[in-house]
Amino acid sequence: MSEPFSRRTLLTAGGAAAALMSLSGCGAVQALRPASGGADTLVVHSQFNGAVAGADVFRAIVEQYRKNTGRSVATLSNGNDLPIVFETSVLAGKEADIAIVNMMGKTLAWTGADATVPVEKFLQPWGLAERIEPGAIEEWTTPEGHLRAFPYTRTNWPVAFNHRLLEEAGVEIPLTSEELINAADALRSKGVGPVSIGGGDWSGQKLFIQIIQSYLTADEAAEVFASGAFSSSPGAMAGIKHFAELRDAGVFVDSAQGFTSDSMLTQYNTGEAAIMSSMSSALAKVPAERAAETTIGGWPVPPQAVSTKPTVIQSFNGMGVWISENGAEKLDLVEPFVQWLFSEEVITQFVLESGRDMNALTHVTSQDFPLVAQAQALAAGDTVDPVILPDLLIPEAVFEPLTQATARAFGPGTSPEEIVEVLEASYKNA
Amino acid sequence: MKMPRISGFLAWGYAALLVIPFYYLVISSLKENDDIFTNPLSLPSTWDFGNYREAISSAELVPAVANSVIVTGLALALTLLLAVPAAFALSRATGRAGRLVEATFSLGFLIPTFAALFPTFLLAAFTGLFHTRTFLVFLLPATAMPLAVIILTQFMRTIPRELEEAASMDGASTLTILRHVHLPICVPGIATVVLLCFLSFWNEYLYSLIIIGPDPAQRTIQVALPTLQLTTGTDYGVLMAGTVFTLLPVFAVYAVTQRQMQKALVSGAVKG
Repeated sequence: MSEPFSRRTLLTAGGAAAALMSLSGCGAVQALRPASGGADTLVVHSQFNGAVAGADVFRAIVEQYRKNTGRSVATLSNGNDLPIVFETSVLAGKEADIAIVNMMGKTLAWTGADATVPVEKFLQPWGLAERIEPGAIEEWTTPEGHLRAFPYTRTNWPVAFNHRLLEEAGVEIPLTSEELINAADALRSKGVGPVSIGGGDWSGQKLFIQIIQSYLTADEAAEVFASGAFSSSPGAMAGIKHFAELRDAGVFVDSAQGFTSDSMLTQYNTGEAAIMSSMSSALAKVPAERAAETTIGGWPVPPQAVSTKPTVIQSFNGMGVWISENGAEKLDLVEPFVQWLFSEEVITQFVLESGRDMNALTHVTSQDFPLVAQAQALAAGDTVDPVILPDLLIPEAVFEPLTQATARAFGPGTSPEEIVEVLEASYKNA
Repeated sequence: MKMPRISGFLAWGYAALLVIPFYYLVISSLKENDDIFTNPLSLPSTWDFGNYREAISSAELVPAVANSVIVTGLALALTLLLAVPAAFALSRATGRAGRLVEATFSLGFLIPTFAALFPTFLLAAFTGLFHTRTFLVFLLPATAMPLAVIILTQFMRTIPRELEEAASMDGASTLTILRHVHLPICVPGIATVVLLCFLSFWNEYLYSLIIIGPDPAQRTIQVALPTLQLTTGTDYGVLMAGTVFTLLPVFAVYAVTQRQMQKALVSGAVKG
């Protein structure tokens, strides 16, 4: 009868186990030592991690700060799950001193729930009032007048047109809906997809919202997206009908309702589609070959629209620098680090090396990310009309159902009335 | 003989169903996004392992794997340390108390993982072990005890009492009987428990995320890996490479324990 496990196997396993136990115990491996939460250490919890644009820059500037000041900074990181991890840490009183995270969903409740402290009182004394876009301060301020966090990155959401593919199809960059429909026909006849979009996820939701905003003023849009009363807004109804017309005219790629933002980006990058509505961080991921044949513009103007120029979603929303209750007790450590984050040196590094749009005032424009630079120039010019990013208005519980509703809207055969029904149901059932 | 042919065909078909996703995973880990989406099943044009380098460095996978190995290894050792004597005692118990304890272990299956999250979080905070790997090392065996004890108890019940009686007559203590009589016979059962618990501990995400937390020096592989997924523009080649990297220890453990696990399954079938 053979031994069930050979002596060598058992010895190897035992040796490995002993070695691993000693790893954490004897401190032989520095990398596995927990970040210190001591009084002299600043703990920063951020979404700049993994493969996120700017993660490398963030690591570098934190290291630079450590070297320059000799101070201890511990970095913690999460992706989209950061809010839930931060909130449970708050309950245990072990949250990081600073959180660098998006303002959406759960984080919107942080200031009111005292999970983080309002930061308006630090703006002047820390010299940040002159460093941050006034519009950003306004957008990040609660209705009660409290600044939730220091606004750090922002969102610019233009439309990318592959002018080579459009030229080959015999059309120019469309500026109106009629031109867009003609361009879609011409592109399809050449075997190229027209507008690529992730109809099944948030990217489709954003484009849908952008299209119907062509028929809404900013105030009307804010009211409609906060309440979900689409059917009582003539502008929203006109926008939804127009969306259905565009869809039925074949403006979007086939099966758009099943695609995601990743498939949208791939279709554009591979030249399978000639147009995409894309946030600037995605524009930074367009390869050089495709970027060279791309022109950045706005979404074409529909007939009888409120907007008179092509539209671009613009928002000061993005990642912010939030200070926790623990951080409020270590302001002597928090202040110099936040000032470092907003320094010209760091902002320049972010703009040049990561292609990020920043809320800090700077004259530096992206060079290695030409499409991001084009988008910034477009936003600063007067050839497009800005429309709102309604993430702050849409109730958190509605966000996901609304994306499912807009996915249905991208599906062929869904009538404007059915679209309104599913949109309103997503608000009522949430 | 048509039946063997059909069953052989079905077996190969089933094997292909399992192999194709794995093939897709491995070849995608060597490609770029464009290639993954346009030629999903074709071989990569170049054998470049840059995606692996990128995944390992940007998600800090090496310390994450080390943490997973530490947590999983210690939790497994603790599980066996507790489950083997418990199963030995239950398999030999003849009274009502034994049946009650065994039933109590079975009740553990009825507790949904998610429902225990908040009390577990409170316990971690109360004990001062929140944001430590130590708490998870103690928690994971608790979640695995019902399965481990039930499997091992059934295994030990198949061992003839005469063996134990003969050993007792030779002067063997209870501990000696467990170590020299039961354990060698139960190795297939132990291997089964090791494999099942290893998979469960290695793949655990929710508690690792909440309890161990976001510190890259402490987080496990299942918490580190999702950092490769982005809101937009995910590099799927890098994500697949990271996934393959996290699967390697699973294959290693399966390679070591598979023979014993098969024995356990076959012995059950024969004894039917």
